[in-house]
Amino acid sequence: MSLFLIAALPFLGAVFPALLIRAGRNAAASSAGFTTLLAFIGLMLHAPAVLRGEVIQASVDWLPGLGLNANFFLDGLGFLFATLILGIGLLIIIYARFYLTREDPMGQFYSYLLLFQGAMVGIVLSDNILMLLVFWELTSLSSFLLIGYWKHLPEGRQGARMALAVTGSGGLAMIGGMLILGNIAGSYDLTVILQHKEAIQASPLYLPALILILLGAFTKSAQFPFHFWLPHAMAAPTPVSAYLHSATMVKAGLFLMARMWPVLAGTPEWFYIVATTGLVTMVLGAVIALFKDDLKALLAFSTVSHLGLITMLLGFGTKIAAVAAVFHIINHATFKAALFMSAGIVDHEAHTRDIKRLGGLRHLMPITFTIVIIASLSMAGIPPLNGFLSKEMMLEEAYHTTWLGSHWVIPGLAVLAAVFSAAYSFRYIAHVFLGPKRDDYPTTPHDPPAGLWLAPAFLVLLVIFIGLNSNGVAGPLVSAAANAVIGDDLPYYSLKLWHGVTPALYMSAIAVIGGLLFLSQHKRLEAFWNALPRPEAKVIFEALVNGLVRAARAGSDALHNGAISRYAAIMIVFTTGLTYAAFRTGTLAAPTRSVQEAGVLPVIGWICLVVATLAVVMKHRNRLLALVLIGVVGLVVSLSFNYLSAPDLALTQISVEVVTIVLMLLALNFMPKDTPVETPLGKRLRDITISIFAGLGSGGLIYALMTRDFAAAPISEYHLANSYKGGGGTNVVNVILVDFRGFDTFGEIIVLGIAALVIFALTEAILGSRVRARLLNRKPDMPRAGDAHPLMMVVATRVMMPLALMVAAFIFFRGHNLPGGGFIAGLIAAIAVIMQYMASGFAWASERQRFFFHGIIGSGVLIAAATGMGAWFNGLPFLTSAFGYIDWPLLEEFEWATAALFDLGVFLAVVGAVMLALESLARFAWQPGMETEHAMDINPARDDVAEDEKEA
Amino acid sequence: MIQADLSVILPEIFLAVYAMAALLFAVYTGKDKLAKPLVYATALVMVVLAIYVGSSSTGTTEAFGGMFVNDAFARFAKVVILLSGAIVMVMGEDYMHRRGMLRFEYPILIALASVGMMMMVSAGDLMSLYMGLELQSLALYVVAAMRRDSVKSTEAGLKYFVLGALSSGLLLYGASLVYGFAGTTKFAGIITVAQHGEVSVGLLIGLVLLISGLAFKVSAVPFHMWTPDVYEGAPTPVTAFFATAPKVAAMGLFARVMHDAFGHAVSDWSQVIALLAVASMFLGAVAAIGQRDIKRLMAYSSIAHMGYALIGLAAGTEFGVEAMLVYMAIYVTMNIGTFAFILMMERDGKPITDINALNQFSKKEPGKALAMLVLLFSLAGVPPMLGFFGKFYVLRAAVDANMTWLAVAGVVASVIGAFYYLRIVFYMYFGKDGEEMQSRGSMLLNGLLAASAIAMVAGTFTTLGIENAAASAAATLVH
Repeated sequence: MSLFLIAALPFLGAVFPALLIRAGRNAAASSAGFTTLLAFIGLMLHAPAVLRGEVIQASVDWLPGLGLNANFFLDGLGFLFATLILGIGLLIIIYARFYLTREDPMGQFYSYLLLFQGAMVGIVLSDNILMLLVFWELTSLSSFLLIGYWKHLPEGRQGARMALAVTGSGGLAMIGGMLILGNIAGSYDLTVILQHKEAIQASPLYLPALILILLGAFTKSAQFPFHFWLPHAMAAPTPVSAYLHSATMVKAGLFLMARMWPVLAGTPEWFYIVATTGLVTMVLGAVIALFKDDLKALLAFSTVSHLGLITMLLGFGTKIAAVAAVFHIINHATFKAALFMSAGIVDHEAHTRDIKRLGGLRHLMPITFTIVIIASLSMAGIPPLNGFLSKEMMLEEAYHTTWLGSHWVIPGLAVLAAVFSAAYSFRYIAHVFLGPKRDDYPTTPHDPPAGLWLAPAFLVLLVIFIGLNSNGVAGPLVSAAANAVIGDDLPYYSLKLWHGVTPALYMSAIAVIGGLLFLSQHKRLEAFWNALPRPEAKVIFEALVNGLVRAARAGSDALHNGAISRYAAIMIVFTTGLTYAAFRTGTLAAPTRSVQEAGVLPVIGWICLVVATLAVVMKHRNRLLALVLIGVVGLVVSLSFNYLSAPDLALTQISVEVVTIVLMLLALNFMPKDTPVETPLGKRLRDITISIFAGLGSGGLIYALMTRDFAAAPISEYHLANSYKGGGGTNVVNVILVDFRGFDTFGEIIVLGIAALVIFALTEAILGSRVRARLLNRKPDMPRAGDAHPLMMVVATRVMMPLALMVAAFIFFRGHNLPGGGFIAGLIAAIAVIMQYMASGFAWASERQRFFFHGIIGSGVLIAAATGMGAWFNGLPFLTSAFGYIDWPLLEEFEWATAALFDLGVFLAVVGAVMLALESLARFAWQPGMETEHAMDINPARDDVAEDEKEA
Repeated sequence: MIQADLSVILPEIFLAVYAMAALLFAVYTGKDKLAKPLVYATALVMVVLAIYVGSSSTGTTEAFGGMFVNDAFARFAKVVILLSGAIVMVMGEDYMHRRGMLRFEYPILIALASVGMMMMVSAGDLMSLYMGLELQSLALYVVAAMRRDSVKSTEAGLKYFVLGALSSGLLLYGASLVYGFAGTTKFAGIITVAQHGEVSVGLLIGLVLLISGLAFKVSAVPFHMWTPDVYEGAPTPVTAFFATAPKVAAMGLFARVMHDAFGHAVSDWSQVIALLAVASMFLGAVAAIGQRDIKRLMAYSSIAHMGYALIGLAAGTEFGVEAMLVYMAIYVTMNIGTFAFILMMERDGKPITDINALNQFSKKEPGKALAMLVLLFSLAGVPPMLGFFGKFYVLRAAVDANMTWLAVAGVVASVIGAFYYLRIVFYMYFGKDGEEMQSRGSMLLNGLLAASAIAMVAGTFTTLGIENAAASAAATLVH
């Protein structure tokens, strides 16, 4: 049967129990059993070949993008595990059919179980490590469902959660290790990786890879300090415990260590990490197991201990130890599964698993007693049972192993663990079955129906047979599996009962005698044990998790406190740091430009600028003052433009300054005078420090930039050379605006117009709402001037108006060749009109308004567009300018460029946009029908009326 | 000449014109009454465009003197952007409609944001980069503050706007430095100047500032601070949108700038991006642990996911870009399903976002709980769900680029991050009895949830069938 089918069968079969449960529990159970049997038979068909040492492979394309193929392979090790998984799985299915009660949803149980089984088979058959990872996590997930199967039990839920958290996280960590291995070997196929021992062990990444992979293996196999999840997983139904914790889930970690043994083992790192962990786990588990009163807890800790034993053997890194490990895996699976099932029988029959409430069952349950006695003695390591054989091999190996130069650490501790192991094994027999019969069992126990005891009975038969004839029964399997782990040259070993009088025999004897002794003194030891301070792993785990959650919450809430100033500060600090790092790593050529002499005037200007800027920061709470200071900054900037021979920029800047200051003044009218103090001093100090660093940084950057020539020739050369030739103007800035980059300007005036319209629309919306009433009824927080429209100002602005408009026209027309142009002219014209609004009042001014500002914006844009389209008639692209010269009689030669028409569009758009924005903001205070009453209101219409009245 | 240019940029122009026409039409006719049909019409337009973009042209074409590039990379990103944008918009329609939040501007803003995003991934010049970025951002600022009557929503929008403006400033400052030291704004020109080992300090600082600005858009730590507030404050459908298409666009733009403009100086930026990646993964994983609000939790989750995607970018290789693209596509698929579920969460008709409400949810709705289980496992990167392959892709890219430490950091962060995803699963299956929630699911939401969950499982065998497209996309980008 194809390996694919073997791996897929449990998954496919998982559907049946869920569906067939309506046909009855037997149908569900038998469908699960049948699928497993089929897969088992398929596996056995490969047995002869595998036992001969052949490796069976199957592969198919999977994710070519990642260079992955779905490869399966079956060698001795995989075969051994697959046999255990499917074989014991079959027994568990039979057992569970009789164990579960009518209330338990059995269809679900078998579906989960088959899913789990499929995942386990997948792990042991995968050739691709990525697939192995997939199946690995699938076992975590499906075991999560199995452990939490009894949802009504809180322990079940907690146990499931803990198991998933620990094993799942370990699996994720393993991904990293696998990636590194795959990268070193250049392939993600196990068969390839296993051939790269030298490359992997020589790699500097060997240790990280090893640690990450071992994290996965240790968590799965419940090695110290991750052992705590296993006993809590005992809340699961007993068939689950029997399956997961004897033969499958926890053995997956061992499987992985065995699988990776050829490439990872044999280094000191491997020895000290793996062997030490195994040793500690073995001793710890054995000691705790002796003092557990819950039958399943006893078995759980004994499982932890035995897993530690096997881990330690693998950790030794010697070939013979690996053989012993493989052998013990088989033996442990047989006797431990039988013991778990028997514990389940006791629980099922007596309705308690508490050893303190049991005893004397041998008369009531003779069959169970027989099973338990054989399996327990095997666990204790009593000849001629199989547990003795592998334990003997372990002790022999331990005897020869030194740890940090010490000859006694490992043998001593191994014997200690063996003593405790024997003690708890005997305890199971003695305290549950021996002793006087009691009359206070929750229910009267008796032997269960054959369905329940057949499976464990079969397993103890194996225990005996392997013990008596190990070479015959288990020999081929052990050698095939060991072959797969350690390679072809198997060391000499013999699986037999009598090796002569060896140190291991002495140690075994000590263990058995010590075990009996300990059992006899159990009460005293227990009192002593209970007096010891014992850290409860579950409590620590929960406390750790809860503490971390709390810390994480506190930390993240403290960091993300919602304050935008903090967010901005963090961004700035980080960026400044990054910039500094970039500055340190990069190379900076020497400055190529000299620094100019600073005259008196620039220094004064600079001081004004700095003082004004600092003053804005200090005094920004007083909004009016801040606005004045910003005006100073703007003025100095425009003057400096002028000083640095950029009159165009200076003109533009100063007109924009004036307009914005006026608009802001209007806006301020609706706002409180001061900004309240909201930030404490410490925060402000922090912000000051940050801004000083960031400001100095960006200032320094600009200094560095300006003292060096540009990388490429600046584009201004081109414009200077072509401005007159191509655009017909000597004012390069204006030619750029209306000609070279005319398209940009066209876009800009549209944007400007839209912005003004948006301001209008927004204020319109506010005007219609209750906000307007609030604004109108607002009590100003500063005294207002008694005279709203001072006479002096009214006169001055009205006199200025024609002059200003004249200047605008002048600036407009000279723009093409000298500083000026439509944009600046527009601003100046707008300022002239704004002044009227300010001096004479909104009502007065708007009464004299002839055109809607919307229309002015629109006509400006349309004129510009029409000018641009004019070029089409000459067969040129949009906005190509043309110019010519006209000789006016009596006047100088006059240049006539289409660009001027375009500039007119700009002019109109600017005037309209500025005025519309201003009007929108000013409208708030204005009510329909409101008229001004001041003396300078020389409205001719009204004066006529007055005269009419006089005449009348 | 201009005709050839326009034909390259046709999808963008079409969508932009559609958006503006729809806006005018709606303003002068039914306004909000038209919102519902507009949502579907816009989605239809976007899907049609996605099909057009995905199937029309092959090879690389440029427009406007290389300012706009249409290559396999751009097409891949555009298809993901358009499809996810359309799906998320339709997904949230019912939710917004029932709560009176659906305005006709919503689909139009999404369409305009999509134009910006398409522009971003196609940018071949710092100018077009900024144009696309701002078009997208401006639309998103408005969308974030859509619920004007909610203080949280407006606060979120304002914060996003102010910080976004700051980041734009950083980006522009960087762009002007790059221009100053490279003498050009065109990526094709910058790459000839920015050669490995001879990058001047000015260019380097410009690069760093560009990265800072872009990192804000992908919400990488420490430029992520807006994300939790905006995710929590914005209406859930908007949050779902934020978590999907814009992230793809920003990541695409990031990759484009790094490889197209600075592809010959990989070592100068890969460390910075690796730093951002590690910080994002860890902060996202740790900070999400304490969250009770599922939207805030998803914000941190997306921060962490961006960290993983950045690993692909930090690798600086072709495979890294491929991994990043695959990761983003998978991320978007997972998020669509997850948000479809979050949109369904409600109690007595009111939306709820507290994860405690999920207690014992599996008893009531086993199907939906199972779908969420699959999605959450996938988000956590647990094999065999698709999310694992996304992670595997980027981690492998890092390992192949000799950045093993980065991959190991990613693994550790994913272990931490798994905790909070699994906790939700635990609540759903084994939680305490508490106040129950209802899940009001339309056919559409249920279908999307199911489809996304199925994709997570089926992806194990195909990785959505996108790896070839992603590979060819990456090949066109990396020099």
